[in-house]
Parts: sequence; C-alpha cells; structure tokens
Amino acid sequence: MSDEITWDKTVSDVNDGILAPTGKPHPMYYGALGLSLVCLLIGIVAWSLQIIYGMGLSGLNSPVYWGTYITNFVFWVGIGHAGTLISAILFLFRAKWRNSVNRSAEAMTVFAVITAGMFPLIHVGRVWVAAYWMVPLPNTNQLWVNFRSPLIWDVFAISTYLTVSLLFWYMGLVPDIASMRDRVRGFKRLVFGFMSFGWTGTLRQWHHYEAGYGFLAALATPLVLSVHSIVSWDFAMSVQPGWHTTIFPPYFVAGAILSGCAMVYTLVLPFRTMFRLEGFIRKEHLEALIKLTLLTSTIVFYAYGIEFFVAWYSGNEYEWAIFQKRATGPYAFYFWVMVSCNCFFPLAFWSSKIRNNQVACFIICVLINVGMWFERYNIIISSLVEDFVPGSWGHYEPSLTELAITIGSFGWFFTWLLIFCRFFPFVSMSELKLIMPKPLRSSGVKRQGTGG
Amino acid sequence: MSMERETDELLRLERKPEVFLPADGAMEAPAAEFVPGPYYMSADERIPEVADENSRPDHGMAAVGGVTPSEGTTASQTVVDRRDILRFFSAGALMSATACVRRPAEKIVPHVRQPRDHIPGVPVVYATTCGECAAGCGVLVKTREGRPVKLEGSPEHPISQGGLCGMGQAAVQGLYHPERLKGPHVRHGRRHDPMNWDDVFQQLASALKDKKKIGIFTGGSTGHRHQFFREVLERLGSDASRLYTYEANGLFASVARAHEIAFGQSDLPRCDLKKAQVIVGIGSDFHDVGTSVVYHTKGFAQSQPFRGGSRGTFVQFESHLSLTGSRADIRHVIAPGSETHTALILLRSLYEHRASRGSAAARTQVRRFLESYDKVIAGAYQESGVSRELMDKTAEELLNAPSLVVAGGSASADENSTLLQLVTIMANVLTGAYGSTLMMENGWQPSPVKVGDLGRFLQEAPELDALFVIDSNPVFTVPESWGIRSLLEKIPLLVSVQPFPNEVDQIADISLPAHHYLESWGDEQPVAGFWSARQPAVRPTTDSRQAEDSFLWLLAYMDLSLPYKDYRSWLMDKWRRIYHLVGTRSDFETFFKAVLRRGFVGKPGSRTVGELRDLRSYFRELRPVPRGLILTAPLDSRFQDGRSAHLPVLQEMGDRLTTIAWDSWLALSPETMRKMGLRQNQLVKVRGGEQSFDVAVFPLPGLHAASAVIPRGNGHLNQMSTISYQNGVNPLVAFAKKEDPLSGQPVTASLSVELMATGDWYRLAAMQKQNDIANRSDIVKKVSLTQARKNQHKQVDLDTVPDLYPALEKKEYRWGMSIDLSKCNGCGACMVACSLENNVPQVGREQILLGREMHWIRLDRYFYGPVDQPVVTFQPVMCQHCMHAPCEAVCPVFATTHDPEGLNAMTYNRCVGTRYCANACPYKVRRFNWWTHKWGVIGSKATDRNPRALNPDVTVRTRGVMEKCSFCVGRLRDAKHEAKKEKRTVRDGEVKTACQQTCPADAISFGNLNDPDSQVSRERRDSRAYLMLGGDPEHGHYGLKTLPGVSYLAQVTLEEHPATGFGQRAGNHGHPAAEESHGAHDGD
Repeated sequence: MSDEITWDKTVSDVNDGILAPTGKPHPMYYGALGLSLVCLLIGIVAWSLQIIYGMGLSGLNSPVYWGTYITNFVFWVGIGHAGTLISAILFLFRAKWRNSVNRSAEAMTVFAVITAGMFPLIHVGRVWVAAYWMVPLPNTNQLWVNFRSPLIWDVFAISTYLTVSLLFWYMGLVPDIASMRDRVRGFKRLVFGFMSFGWTGTLRQWHHYEAGYGFLAALATPLVLSVHSIVSWDFAMSVQPGWHTTIFPPYFVAGAILSGCAMVYTLVLPFRTMFRLEGFIRKEHLEALIKLTLLTSTIVFYAYGIEFFVAWYSGNEYEWAIFQKRATGPYAFYFWVMVSCNCFFPLAFWSSKIRNNQVACFIICVLINVGMWFERYNIIISSLVEDFVPGSWGHYEPSLTELAITIGSFGWFFTWLLIFCRFFPFVSMSELKLIMPKPLRSSGVKRQGTGG
Repeated sequence: MSMERETDELLRLERKPEVFLPADGAMEAPAAEFVPGPYYMSADERIPEVADENSRPDHGMAAVGGVTPSEGTTASQTVVDRRDILRFFSAGALMSATACVRRPAEKIVPHVRQPRDHIPGVPVVYATTCGECAAGCGVLVKTREGRPVKLEGSPEHPISQGGLCGMGQAAVQGLYHPERLKGPHVRHGRRHDPMNWDDVFQQLASALKDKKKIGIFTGGSTGHRHQFFREVLERLGSDASRLYTYEANGLFASVARAHEIAFGQSDLPRCDLKKAQVIVGIGSDFHDVGTSVVYHTKGFAQSQPFRGGSRGTFVQFESHLSLTGSRADIRHVIAPGSETHTALILLRSLYEHRASRGSAAARTQVRRFLESYDKVIAGAYQESGVSRELMDKTAEELLNAPSLVVAGGSASADENSTLLQLVTIMANVLTGAYGSTLMMENGWQPSPVKVGDLGRFLQEAPELDALFVIDSNPVFTVPESWGIRSLLEKIPLLVSVQPFPNEVDQIADISLPAHHYLESWGDEQPVAGFWSARQPAVRPTTDSRQAEDSFLWLLAYMDLSLPYKDYRSWLMDKWRRIYHLVGTRSDFETFFKAVLRRGFVGKPGSRTVGELRDLRSYFRELRPVPRGLILTAPLDSRFQDGRSAHLPVLQEMGDRLTTIAWDSWLALSPETMRKMGLRQNQLVKVRGGEQSFDVAVFPLPGLHAASAVIPRGNGHLNQMSTISYQNGVNPLVAFAKKEDPLSGQPVTASLSVELMATGDWYRLAAMQKQNDIANRSDIVKKVSLTQARKNQHKQVDLDTVPDLYPALEKKEYRWGMSIDLSKCNGCGACMVACSLENNVPQVGREQILLGREMHWIRLDRYFYGPVDQPVVTFQPVMCQHCMHAPCEAVCPVFATTHDPEGLNAMTYNRCVGTRYCANACPYKVRRFNWWTHKWGVIGSKATDRNPRALNPDVTVRTRGVMEKCSFCVGRLRDAKHEAKKEKRTVRDGEVKTACQQTCPADAISFGNLNDPDSQVSRERRDSRAYLMLGGDPEHGHYGLKTLPGVSYLAQVTLEEHPATGFGQRAGNHGHPAAEESHGAHDGD
C-alpha cells in the first residue's frame, strides 16, 4: 500500500518533523487541554457527590439497574479495540499503512481501557469494597469470587488487555524515546535514558526488538477478539430478552472495531494539524483507515439484521417483543440514531470522493462514535425497561450526574492523550522510517512544494 | 380440674372460631383457675414493671409528686380526694421549683432487674383488639424487649381469623410516629404551647366549673367506651345525650337506620359470606372498607373462589371500579347514583320470580311497595342502564342457592343511601338471606354509632360550653360546607383528645394526647354477645394518657371523682357483668386474665326480630339519578376516611387499582378522557361543587362514562403531620351541605361537576406503568370453571423439567409458597405486613416517580378485556426463590447464593452493588438501596422510621446494597429452632411468612415442598398450579426453567356461566384495557 503513497518527506525529516512540534504545539492544543481539564473536573465533582450521597443520584431505578455507566464502559472498551487491531493484527498482516497511525491508536487504546476500567467502579453501589472484593485475593475466610459470573471474567479480560496493550505500546515507544534522549541534555536526558532502557540501536538490539514485537503482536491478537466477547457475555449470559443471544460476541467485536477505527480517525485528524504531522500521516493512510471502517460498518449492519431475524425465528415471544419495541417502542429514537449512524451514514464511504474528503469523513466518523454509544445504550436500556413481567416495566432517562460523569470520562481520556502527545511522539518514528522512502534512493519521492 | 385438662379445654375452645354462633357452642366455661400456658397475657402478668406503671393513669403524676394516689385505694374508693390534690399541688410546685424534670418515657423495660419470664430476644405476644376502625378485629401484638414490633391477626379470633388489613398492620407505625404530641398543649392564637398535665387539668377543672353543657364528640365504638363517656358527662353535670358519635363510613349509619325502619332493631346484620354461594353486590365495598373488611374477605375467600370443584358467584353492579368490583365474576357498570334504582329493579325481578321466599306478610309488604313505585321502577331500567332480562337472570341465580344481596358503600353515600339499604332488606327477605347468610337474630353487629348524631350535634353545638373531641376528626371527614370548623371554633372550650394530632388539634384550645390503642385498655363488641378485649402491649411511648383516664383525672380535679382508680378498673366492673353472663365456675380475676390472654370471650345473644314493616312512605323522597359528570368520593381502601393517612407505609403501598402512591387522583373512564381530550397526569379544575379544586386525572377502566372518582382520605391541611399535610386533595370540599335524610350522614357522592383542563400537569406516582399483560401467556394464567372442574383430580409435576442441570438434591426442607390468584383481592395487606416485618423503607413520592419503590412483595394488577368491562387480576410477586436462579450465577462476589433449603439467600454485607442480579432476575423482584434511607426522612417529609419501630430480627440495609424477599427467613429459623428443641421437623403450618399470615383472603400458603403432605406441596400438584415464566409444561414448553419455589394457582373464570354474557365478553378481543397498553389478552 505504501507504494502508492506520495511522500513529501524523507526519513531524515522524521525526527525533526515529529519531535519539534511537541515542544511548541499549535494554539489549538492549549484550548483542547483546557477543555478536557474542565470536563474532567465536572466528572470528578459528580462522582464525588455520587460516592457521598449514593447511587440515587443517577437516573437508574428498578427495573433499569444498568444505564449510562455501563454504556460508557462498553463504549470505552470498544474504543480501546482499534489500537490492538491496528498495531497487532495489521502488523501481522504487514499492512504497512498502519505504521503512521499505530502509535496514536495504541495510545488511544491504553487511555480508553483505563477510562473503561473506571466505569464499573463508578457504577457499583459500594465502590469502597468493590475494588478489592472483585479480585480473587486469598483470605482466611475462604471467600472467593464467583468464577461463574461474567463480571469476574470482565475483571480478568480488561486487566489482561490493559497489561498487554501497555507493554505493546511501551515497547514500540522505546526506540523513539531513545531518539528523544539523544536530542536533549541534562536531567531530561537522564529520564529519557532511564525510560529507553539503554537503547542504542545496535543491530543485536533491533534483532531482539523485532522478534519480541512480533511475539507480542501474536499474543495481543486473540485479545482483540476475547475482550469484547467477554464484555458481551455480561449481557449474553443473563436470561434477559434482547441480551441472551449467541450472536453477541462477534457482533460486539465488530462494533468495537468500528467504533475504534472511527475514533482513531476522529483523533488523528485534529492531532495531525495540532502537531503539524501532515507530512507523515498521509491522506492515503487516512483513506485506508476509512476503508477499514466501512468494512466493519457492513459487518455491524449485517449483525443488526441477523439479530432481528434470530429474534423472530426463535419464536420466543419475549425476545421478539423486545426487538419490536426497539424499533417502534418508546426508545425507538435511540435505535434509529444507532442504525443511521452505524449503518446508513458509513455507506457514503463507498464513494472514493467522500473517502478522500477529510471533513466529510471526520463528520461521519464522529457520527459513528455517537451511533456506537447509542448502540450500547439501546441494547442496555431497551432490554431492561420492558422485559418479562409487564407489571414491573419502567422507564429510564440519565440524570445530570450520569451525564456529568460521562462528560468527565471524555475529559479524563483526552487529558491523558493530550499530555502524552505533548511529551512523546504521536507517530511512531522508528516504524514510520520503515515505510518511508530512503533519502539516497529518491526514486519514489516526488517533492511537492517546499514542505516542512 | 387438672392443668392439662384445663389447657385442653382452652385449646378445644380456641379451635372453634365462630364462638358467637349458638350452634358452635360458646366459650361458656373459661379456665376454672388461671393456667400459665402458651397464650397471650396481659401486661401485669408478664412484665411486673410495666404493669405497675401501666395499670395506672397517673405514672406521670407519680413521678412528679412522688405520691402514688392509688396506694391503699380499692375499687370502691375514690382515686384522689381533695387533700391528695392539695398534696399534689404542693409537692408538684416544690418539685418543679427544684427543677425536677420528668424523664421521657423511654425506659420501656428497664433491664437492671430482668423481669420474670422475660428473656431478651424472645418475643412476648399480647392479644388485644385492633382500634383502627370499628370492626373490632383481634390482633396479636408481638413485642420484643417491651416494644411492639409487629401486629398479626389473631388466628382464634372469629372476626379477623388470623387476617389483618393493611391499615391494621400499619398501626405499629402509628404507635411510634414521631409527630405524636409529646404532652398536653394549650393553644395561644396559632401557637401550641406545651403544658404539663397538672396545669392542664387545673385549667380544665376551673374552666368547666359550673359549666353544664359539656359535650363529647367521638368516633364509632361497639364496646363500653361510649357508656363510659355518658357516665362522665352525667357526672360532669351535663347530659348523657351530649355524646355525639360519628363515623365517616356512612354504611354503619345507613344499614343500622334501615334495619331500625324495617324491623325496629337499629343494628347491622352480620353478613356470613362463607355460607353464600351467590352474592349480588350493588355498589358494595366489603372488600375495600365495608363494615368489617377482614371478616368479609375471610368469608368471601371461603365461599367464592374455586374449592373442590365448585365455586360461588359474585355479581356486582357499580358505577366505579372498586376492589370489591374487581373480584366480581360478573360486573355490570351502572350509572353513578343509580344504585337504589338498580336495587329496585332487582327487587321486582326477585318478587316476580316464582322461587322467591319470604313470609306471606313480608311478601305482601313488598307487593304493596312495588305497586306504589311501579312507575319509578319502570323508569329505573333506563336510569341505571340494566336490562330486565339481565336482572331476571340475576334474580334466578340468587334464588337457586344460599345467597345474599349486599348493597351500599362509601361510593353510593348520597341522599338515597338508607333507601338503598331498605330495598336491599326487602330483596334479602325475598332471597331468604335472613337467618341463613344474614344474621339479625343472633350474632348481629351492634352499630358503632348512633344514627343521626351529626345532625343533633349541629343543632346543639352552638349552645355547648365545652366540647371534647375524642378519636375523631370531624373537621376533615365531614364536608367543609357543613361548617364543622367554624362551629367548633365558636365553642368556648374545645378540647381535642387524639392519639395523633389532626385538624381538630389545630383549632382546639387544649390538646390532650391520647394513648394509641396499643397503649390502652378497652373492649369492643364486634358481634352481639361477643366481647373482644383490648389491653396495653407497651408502656406509653410519649407523655400521653388514655382518653378515659384523662376524664377520671379531670373529675378528680373537679372533686367529682368516680369511684375508680382508672379506666381499667371501671372496665373490669363492666366485665363483671359479662363474667356473670358467661357463667363460668372460676373466679372473676381468673376469668379476666384468661380473657386477656385469649383476647375475647363470647356468649351468644339471641332475640326475635319483628316482621318487615311498611316502607312505602320513606320512598317519597327518592332522589332521581343525577345527570352529567358525577363526582364520587369513596373512602380510600388504605386509610378509610384519612385517619391513617399519616402512616407512610400506607401511603407508599399505593392504591391497588391505580397503583398510585402518595397522592390523590381523579379517575375517569379512558373513553371519557378521550372524549374530553384529557391525558393522564393532566391537571383539571373540578367545578360545579361548593369549592373548586385542581387534581390530576388518571384513566381507570371499568368506570361508567359519567363517573368521576376521587378517593377521600388524603388532602389533609393539618400541619402537625408532615406526611399527610398537603398530600393530595380532599374532594369533600366540593360537596354542599346535604345529608341522607334518614341516616343523617353527609352526602359524599352523586355530585354533578364539570372538569376544566388547566393546562398544567402533575405526575402521579403510579407504580405500575403497563396495565395489561401485553400478550404474555405464562405470567398470569386463567382457566375456565369447566376446565378446572374437569382437571380437578389431575396432578401436575412442576419440578420435573428436562434440562442440563443435575437433578435437584432432596434435602429435609425446601421452602415454597403457593399463591391462589382466585383468592387474592388486591387489598395490599401483604405489602404492609412485609414492609413492617422486614424493615423495608418507605421512599416517598419523588423516588417512586423514578421507579425506586422498595416493596419486597409487589402486587401486580392487570386489566383484561374491553375498557368498559375489564377483568381485573391481582398477582402478588415476591422473590420466586428459583432452584436455578439466574441471579445467583451472575453475582461476582457470591452475595446472593442458594441455601440448602431452597432459599435464595442474600448476604447484604458481601454485596458490592453491581446490580447484575437484579438485571438477571426475570421477575424483577430485587430492590436496590439507592440511598441510605435515613431515620425520619422520606424525600422532604418526616416519617416514623423510628428505630424502635424496627423489627430487631431483620437487618437494616445501607445504600449500595441489593435486597429482596427472604421468605421471612428469620421466622423459618425460629421455627426450626423450636422444632430442634423438640427433636422433630417443622410441622406444616407451624411457620408462616408475614404476607401469608396477614392475608385476609388466605391466598398464600407456605411450607415445605419436600413434605408431600404439606399444603403447599398439595397446591403445587394441583392441576391449576403453574410457575411464573414457566412456559406451558403441558405442551412441552418449560419457559425459563428457573424452577421457582413460588407457584401460582390459575385464576378460575366463569365464561360459561349461564346467567350472564360473560362467555361472550371473554371472547371479545376488544379495545386495550388501558391507555398505554399494547393489546388485550383474555388469558386462559
């Protein structure tokens, strides 16, 4: 794929081009950071109030015991999917275009999983005991966790995924940190030196590095499938109509990758401007990303359809009633938001004109993120609101606290991301160099304009 | 006689519930000597400390004065003489000068010295008589460490027969209500200043000196209470006739008055519903309020639901949907205000039927009557909307079996209410009900009120010098247009004596807090000759005094002392008469103790009742059926006239038909609402009455198109009770000063009104959002009578379900429950009992609007069929205790687990609050603590979550924790401990859950499913048994296969009944029964 890319930079431009703007970012950066911090503050205040006064501050009730928090949890786990997909699976498939976006995707993964991991704690009634009672700690009372509960599998799945993602991300960072170490003096050099584990770039080091990276990628690949499958079991393992279905794991994974790709695009586009990386993240890379988004969108479209078919075909009155209500009931609005954003709007990507129109793609990708959020909201709420026994049916709308914490989660995520971009290369320099034209063999380079 | 024989004798007597029936043999010979046994004792016997304090009215005084006035006095001596009073005054002055503070009455049982036979942690049970309404049910008060924690219907008591209504259950909240007055108060302007009892008595004594026109206004009672008040009035120099009794439930007065007119006996016949196979109700409300709601529900449950291949028939004619109407097999909607006309049609049909009974003289009277009102009756068909053929069929039904016509209720309390009773009397004469199902000659109900007292009071009140209002709230319960408030305000000295401050206290010059009935002595005579005793079960919780004792004290201060040291000794004097009447061999003391232990004694009375008199002249003033939209204000089935509206547990229980909690609403038929362009929760102005007011509307199927119903009981303006203050509206303000000319009861129905949409909205806290079953087939099941008969001897095995789980292990116990949907009448007593037993918090309107009610047992109500003719089904749903519980597998921390005895157990302290279990639960019976429900707060309102009112056997839960029905696991453990001590297993029926115990309809049974002979096992094998969400096992569908421990018995419907159009109706897949419903379904 990289063969078709028109580069206006060479390998020698990489270190300067990527590292220089981190010292002096675009003014947009400070605006974004400020906004993120404000959102984060709102979230912190709301969560503190919820811990002090109780879960009553949320809009949850009987029968809707799960709501916005679990929606956010699944949403953020889903966002965290694209990272591993892009870095590990595409790495194994040797899709070279990934090298320009994999760092940003990995960073996004790590911060999204951290964000997601907080939501179960925000959600539980007694956070002060939940944090350690959910972990199987040996104790004299022989009190163990319930290994039959999908929530426990979640704990393992998320923590494994976070660990592997962190390792993968950091391992990729090591050569880049070494480059940064070489550019600075004094205390900074000491810190970067420590963080780069004495990386000198010898052939031997590269040899081990490549082998290790490959193994880690192979290790991370099944996680892409397992994490969201397990998250989907949170729903599929209960008898709730609309949840209790075997299609959930692949359906959730496809949805997660869709949301992840869309989120990568949504992030990369402004960050590219913010850190003046247009020369390194080329439009061809972005288009490849959009193609992946289109692929997963069609998978998701298919899953939506098959879900309805199975509900009807099963002959289960409760199951079918839920699906009818999803499309026509009191919460149908969310359903149609979800279908439009995840299935209909991405159809525009079939046109190469729109694929290459970054503004249009950005808007659709944001819409996909909205749609994916509502997909989870729709699954959770519509199944709970009106399930088996009509006498217990209820209603749900998120409270201000829930909205504030949701906003706070975005603040938390972006704050970390922005801080990361400020101090570390947003594009993997070492990997980018692999796919860029070499300076002495400039046959593939067509210089366009003066460039940076 | 040996002790064993004595005990056996008592037990034998107690096994006979209907002691007041001569045929059953009365309890004529109580213990010859006192036998300490497993029964219920008075406070004296069990807890000496309590008794010492309690048997005296003067404990407060004694604490101040240090003198015990009753020392050395006997029953024949004056309790205090003038010198004593002087001593008191001086001592009191001295003590108050030396700042001797009266201790708050909190040391209920001082445990410095442990009382004999009193073990901490072991409950002591007292038998007493419920004082919440005039029905006189027997209750057992379970006390722990001297505190009543739970009330239960006394199983031996023939009125309650073990059941208790929601209001009766809630009384324990009234006892500990934090807003009870803490002592006497004197009003200065709008301020109520506390004062001590001595000063109050002095002030009263000087104020009443030389005053002769002193009156007492009080509520209904069938006991000796009214006689005592009359004696007091005479002693005070007033006249015994200045005792005015009033009950807002006009049924007592109208039935009593009608029987006075018809037979010359001003009493109520006892309706023995268990003997009636066919019951026809005309606007009757015996399941809602009636005259004795628990007794009637018990009787109904024994004759009407499906039992052994047969069942009774209940036909109801009514203009609005009541709980009673919801139980009808055949329910006809008639025009509001046309109850009397409907009854007239029925009377004619009955008379014209050849099988009609009645003596020749009575038949002549009826014939003459029918001839004189031929024209009225001819027009009545159109007025009421009932066809002649229908009534003829109904009449035929009535005459083919032991039957009964029950008419009248608070929804038909208009000018015709006594006339309605008169027609009913004639109808019942023709059906031959008197003597078989209606008891007038033996076992009749004495009227708790004197007819016409309210009118007399209005005339005489302006001349009164002083008035005591005792246990009554005429300012609220009589329509405002009657001017009771201004009348009371004009009386120079108004004294309010109430256990809980009400509207009268706001205007009273002096408020004397009275004892709650659980702190009082007293008695009731719910059935003639049958006496039910009331004894205190606790030392007074506030500085209150029993109303009667306050009078004794007042008399003493006025130097007019009666020769009794307290009301108890006066009462014992009266009981001496009963003692002689009963004619036992033991001495009086033993007799009285035995009575207290058991709670009642009966000696049947019998009398002859005269022939039916000529009733024609009374019907000249028969008021025609009103036109237009008709406002009716029936009594709320939860707190009747509003007397218990201050109890949060009742407010939170919600109306059982609308499921609205904490509010008042205007119910209209959905069709009328559609025509008027109104939507649910829209605020309308009700105009056309005396005063207009705003209220939110609610669509209720089964109402006549011209019927607008607002239950009364809410809308209090008494700021002393934050729970009931401004909660809802009081519809009585709309009613003009009109009365039923014969009974003198205020008219609270048949008012023509207009509705005007205000454009505003008010969200009614309806707990159930979906009103029909939404085409689900395995939640509520129904079978037709023919089918039920056919399958009667068939057995089903609900527990054999093909699945991949290992087979169930057979242990000693597997607790299970069976609920008969045919019996449940939706009264909601189970919800109240459960809340009180299990310390379930009340959360308030705002939280209910969010959907966060905490009831462990909820009562789902479904409407089937067309909007105007709904079939109503109530389904109590609690934790189903599934053997394959979906909730247990998903809890990450093992906070909910399965217990070897089949219980689905909750470990509160292990719960972290993921709420996954609640999501997984298909029955949605789990409740999450969204907040820590603090003591004393519900939303913005204070409550009675007095820690002392909590059941010490059940843990309270904090926020963040899941909770749910535990099958009253504490009771199970107690029963098992008892059984273990005796080296046996728990016997069937030995342990009852709180909901089962209180259920007046006996719809719930509970026991060991592993015992094939237990009642619950037998019911689980019944052909009608099914498991909720258990699919259709007969056809190989097993539903969710959760294997619940709770099974339901399908409701038996009456489609093919010959007399009715029911079959036709059941086949009619008409309009959805409720506004938001998704389709009608007729079940079966």
